[in-house]
Amino acid sequence: MKPILLQGHERSITQIKYNREGDLLFTVAKDPIVNVWYSINGERLGTYTGHTGAVWCVDADWDTRHVLTGSADNSCRLWDCETGKQLALVKTNSAVRTCGFDFGGNIIMFSTDKQMGYQCIVNFFDLRDSSQLENDEPYMKIPCHDSKITSAVWGPLGEFIIAGHENGELNQFSAKSGELLINVKEHTKQINDIQTSRDMTMFITASKDNTAKLFDSTTLEHQKSFRTERPVNSAALSPIFDHVVLGGGQEAMDVTTTSTRIGKFEARFFHLGFEEEFGRIKGHFGPINSVAFHPDGKSYSSGGEDGYVRIHYFDPQYFEFEFEA
Amino acid sequence: MPTGDYDSKPSWADQVEEEGDDDKCITSELLKDLPLSGGLKETPLSADLSADLSADVELLKGGPLPSPKELINGNIKTITEYREEEDGRKVKIIRTFRIETRKASKAVARRKNWKKFGNSEFDAPGPNVATTTVSDDVFMTFITSKEDLNCQEEEDPMNKLKGQKIVSCRICKGDHWTTRCPYKDTLGPMQKELAEQLGLSTGEKEKLPGEPEPVQAQQSKTGKYIPPSLRDGATRRGESMQPNRRADDNATIRVTNLSEDTRETDLQELFRPFGSISRIYLAKDKATGQSKGFAFISFHRREDAARAIAGVSGFGYDHLILNVEWAKPSTN
Repeated sequence: MKPILLQGHERSITQIKYNREGDLLFTVAKDPIVNVWYSINGERLGTYTGHTGAVWCVDADWDTRHVLTGSADNSCRLWDCETGKQLALVKTNSAVRTCGFDFGGNIIMFSTDKQMGYQCIVNFFDLRDSSQLENDEPYMKIPCHDSKITSAVWGPLGEFIIAGHENGELNQFSAKSGELLINVKEHTKQINDIQTSRDMTMFITASKDNTAKLFDSTTLEHQKSFRTERPVNSAALSPIFDHVVLGGGQEAMDVTTTSTRIGKFEARFFHLGFEEEFGRIKGHFGPINSVAFHPDGKSYSSGGEDGYVRIHYFDPQYFEFEFEA
Repeated sequence: MPTGDYDSKPSWADQVEEEGDDDKCITSELLKDLPLSGGLKETPLSADLSADLSADVELLKGGPLPSPKELINGNIKTITEYREEEDGRKVKIIRTFRIETRKASKAVARRKNWKKFGNSEFDAPGPNVATTTVSDDVFMTFITSKEDLNCQEEEDPMNKLKGQKIVSCRICKGDHWTTRCPYKDTLGPMQKELAEQLGLSTGEKEKLPGEPEPVQAQQSKTGKYIPPSLRDGATRRGESMQPNRRADDNATIRVTNLSEDTRETDLQELFRPFGSISRIYLAKDKATGQSKGFAFISFHRREDAARAIAGVSGFGYDHLILNVEWAKPSTN
């Protein structure tokens, strides 16, 4: 396969995300630019300009009307996807680490960092009530006293959010009452990424403790573990196969002291059920910070510490490949 | 049926066509390799052509390079651009795109018609090469459990082989390559072994020529002149040089690939352990006196010569590997 290389960022990629149909790919990095690309040919549709700091997270709603970004410039912004206009700006006390639309696209959630004396807070806004965003009055705030949230996603039906913490804990918070529903600790170190399966019944976590783990969304029951020998920065579930792609590598601070050959910057494919690795794809010059499967499962993208985003369309061999147990 | 205004919007590269109720056709340019001309090809103009161009430029009073051309041939779009390099070289860039029409849902087709915005606002239709390029081919390396099993199987034979000697040093018969031998430049153990092998025979051999010597010494001590006819061997009358030389030839070996610094004494040192040497001829350059890289060593006995060939051929000497073989009888 010949990957399409997207060079829209000047610094390392922090998150990449497809929209629901997969025709658009949103990429954010540690620079203030938010890019959106046509995934089919890598053509850049545009940029959402306004942020003044590193952008940590991005999300698009189900009909790709709105885009939500959270940045280290202490703001969370809502954009019009088609025109790139900024629709709303929520100022926060600390950096916005995670953000997301619920499945209906009406409620947004974002979490702030434990930073500069401020604690980690999850904020919930209802977009249908325009006064909430205008007056910066979230309908609900969930403070997290212990360990800050490093990744979070909405659970199925917008009932709750699943948050991964710096200490490896996983928490399920109700989006209605804000109470802590379930707390589990399967990881020993920071959870870098959480991504749900296509039907949102399962989700996969990627942790600094060198593992990625599969959980049941509603019960947070641990299902499967995928072990590697390096920190896992991102993990994604294939929508069509029982496959998992893991992206990682040694920590950014160690990159300059190791060569790309032993740096293990490949994307690694594991079988979901057998927890065994079956394939690798090379390409990045640094650790992969974010991976995402196209919703049709025929391509995947990865964004790395090297600042590049690569769109990979799978070769026929991938589809013919059968895992031998 | 579409109700939005996107149908009337002027489209750049995409043609949206009605394809039933749910499906839409979108056409997009794919930056992909074509077997005909390659994805991105840079062709520097030939010398005389660029001269022509520069003449044109002069006429046009520093006018611009030829304007980019766009050619659509079926589903292949070719864009030809001209660019002046920093060193003044003019470069023609031909980019080939394949235009593909795909069916997509209405929402996707509508989005494909969106106008570019932000930093891409002034980008031309199609991928901008400043932000989008096609990377080198990469392949998924499959790791199957079968391969893992093979690896394990392979490990076992390796363990079996561990006891056996795979590599045997020619010098000391140790478990390493000859070049790694600690006795590489000394020939030590080989000489020892040879001495053991030969044992008595060498001792006898050395003694034998030793015995007559005292006699000769006694004779010479008298200081008396002995005419050649009375000397030892005088009885071997009529014995010409010819057969002797032939005997020499039979026990002569040719050593090649010697280093330039080799001296006769080195060769003597090297070959003495194999038996008594009757003659050493080292080919030297007349002008410089340096070795030409080959030498002839004549032994008294053919067995010694054979042993020398077996022992020294392939032996690393200085930085070179010696080649030792039987000398061919000289033609003259």
